[in-house]
Amino acid sequence: MSAPNAASTKRFDLNMLIVYLLLVVFATITLVPFVYLLFSAFKSTESFFSFVFWPTQGAWYDVDWQGFTLDNWRTLFFEAGIVRATVNSFFISSVTAILATLFSAMGGYALAKYRFRGRGLTTLVVLGSLAIPFALLIAPGYQLLYWLGLLDTYTGLILPGVAPAFGVYLFRQAFISSLPDALIEAARIDGCGDIRIFFQIALPMVRPMIGAFLLITYLATWNNFISPQIVIQSADKLPLSVFVAQLRGPYSTSYGMIMAGTLVAITPVLVLFLLLQRDFIAGLTAGAVKG
Amino acid sequence: MDQKRSNVTICNDFLLLRTLKTIPPGPLVILLIAVLSSATIAFWPSEEREGLVFWTFAQHHARMYHPAIQDWNERAATSDAEPIQMFVLSMGALNRRTQSGMWAQTATSDLVEIEQPSVARFMAGPVEEVGFYDLTDLLRDEGIYNQLNEPSFAPWTSRGRIFGLPHDVHPVLLCYRADLVEEAGIDVSKIKTWDDFEEAMRPLVNNTDGDGETDRYALGLWYTSARDVEALLLQAGGGTFNAQGESIIASDANTHVIARMVRWCVGPNRIAIDAPEFSPSGNELKLRGSVVAALMPDWLAGVWMNDLSALKGKLKLMPLPAWEEGGRRTSVMGGTMIAIPKTTRDFDSAWAFAKELYLSPVLAQKLFESNHIISPKVGLWGEPYYAVKEPYFSDQQSGMMYIDQAPNVPFRTSSPFHQVAMQQIMDAASALKAYAEANDAYEIETLMPEAKRLLESAEQRIEQEMSRNVFIAGDTMGGADDE
Repeated sequence: MSAPNAASTKRFDLNMLIVYLLLVVFATITLVPFVYLLFSAFKSTESFFSFVFWPTQGAWYDVDWQGFTLDNWRTLFFEAGIVRATVNSFFISSVTAILATLFSAMGGYALAKYRFRGRGLTTLVVLGSLAIPFALLIAPGYQLLYWLGLLDTYTGLILPGVAPAFGVYLFRQAFISSLPDALIEAARIDGCGDIRIFFQIALPMVRPMIGAFLLITYLATWNNFISPQIVIQSADKLPLSVFVAQLRGPYSTSYGMIMAGTLVAITPVLVLFLLLQRDFIAGLTAGAVKG
Repeated sequence: MDQKRSNVTICNDFLLLRTLKTIPPGPLVILLIAVLSSATIAFWPSEEREGLVFWTFAQHHARMYHPAIQDWNERAATSDAEPIQMFVLSMGALNRRTQSGMWAQTATSDLVEIEQPSVARFMAGPVEEVGFYDLTDLLRDEGIYNQLNEPSFAPWTSRGRIFGLPHDVHPVLLCYRADLVEEAGIDVSKIKTWDDFEEAMRPLVNNTDGDGETDRYALGLWYTSARDVEALLLQAGGGTFNAQGESIIASDANTHVIARMVRWCVGPNRIAIDAPEFSPSGNELKLRGSVVAALMPDWLAGVWMNDLSALKGKLKLMPLPAWEEGGRRTSVMGGTMIAIPKTTRDFDSAWAFAKELYLSPVLAQKLFESNHIISPKVGLWGEPYYAVKEPYFSDQQSGMMYIDQAPNVPFRTSSPFHQVAMQQIMDAASALKAYAEANDAYEIETLMPEAKRLLESAEQRIEQEMSRNVFIAGDTMGGADDE
């Protein structure tokens, strides 16, 4: 009886070994751009153009330390003003993510659990607005912000993103599948008002969705490139995505500085994603195994 | 029991605290970031803005303009003029924002710098609907038109009206590896045409490291590089549209250029290599001597001096070989203008500032010394800084060499169909290359009929597309002044 088991275990291990080897190969390939980024951030302009990874004096192991420099970082932090751009990115992304999650949840809850005139039409409008390409909204969005006096303000950047149709519809579906009407009725009988029902009963039922949506919105806002370019004019209000792009000039470009800026731009979201990936995955898989 | 109930009630009343308890740690981290960053932003106020807004897309432009703006603003404080606030935007942002503002008829900037490849999008409608002020009459009345190099106005001119003040000329010379060429005993003074160039430089196309593969080429350009192709088309008298706005896509000049470019790039007589600008691989090819010569507009000379400093003293410049004996020895590549959107709050101040900035002798000198770009103001071309011997180019008077060719730069269109027409020409060049390889036909004479057929087909497609534009149907989309 034991022989087949041993053989099976052995075969299993071999399979796993192959799988792991393949994964290591693919992981290494995935890491190549990051390694390139890391080295490039510390290279002088001449080394950047002459060597793909580290500067050498012939053989690949003969590192030319003269080809490395900290100038990119010095310029980035003390002249270009990346600190302010980083704070801006944190501010815009976190505030947008929190408000978008809150208002999407509120909108989704209303569409899922309240009976009111025009509910079907409202749901249809929310769903339909998902089909409008972003490019079509650039000019009217700009005009609206101009009328509201919100151009070149943080509000002008955050406000259009606080109730995304995608989020409202996502939460509507989450509330329909996770929150029984009986629970709301019981709470109401116990004397709970609408606000308390929403915050204390409804929201905890969609906890995984909150985590996932917050992170999705946070990352999307952090990487948003077009909107800040259109809305923000002052350099001291630009987020990192645009700030890094602005380091590239048409006639001269400091690639080392762009690489250093890119490294600064991706590190916080990378750390955040690694810290919060459990919430993110829990939200994405919520309901996946429900009947 | 009452005390306990009371505690529970109090606890229940703290809705916020109870809600916080239900939030997973991940979202709490984001909440914490929001609180901290909000506090930082609140105590780190943005700069106050006042006066006219000036958008530029280049950091080095901004650095050059900064003292002039400071000086202007000091004078503005004691006069009626508006102070200037300059913002550096990425090219994409500047174009999108300006275009959005024009579509929505909302204020954007009071002054804006536009780069040549982007300008067509702003000229797409009826001429009276272009979102920039028409400066034609002012330029003539104030005598500025005659002060500047005439061809420099072409990219900013649509249907005879000029919408911007030119920043540069950007003539193109040929840059070559003097060390390699002179070692091979080649006398470049005898090179007058591209035929001469091919003949003279062919001995340099060889295998230098003994591995049997050619690793040195006479020219660093490629048939897929729109910038290179366009410069050569213009030099040959071709291009996309003529001064009257008529398509010249299938002209003989274009046919000859793409046929020759394909011959340069493929087949047994290949002399060119793809060594793109602004790329590590392209620069490596230049550094190790795989590229003997390359097209060199004045601004690119500045880029090479910065990015390829190891080539200092190894390079020289010469006028471009002509397409025919006695033909044009230069071309043009790139360019910038300053324009005043119609939504400006104070045209007079904006116009006064634009003139002061672009016609300033101090800035012209800075432009040349920092970027090797020559000013379009003809009266400044005699300044001594242009005559300085440049060590990077083996002590040649590179500034003077560019100035010598500046009056000869070819006409450029501002047609909104220019980009799409160029794309059609590029597609034709790619198709011709495939034809050459499929038929083993690499001589210009055998490629010309197919090149002509491909370009005629491209021209038909463009003309169809132009006929569908209801806004400009029947209008002349040329860039030249008809007067």
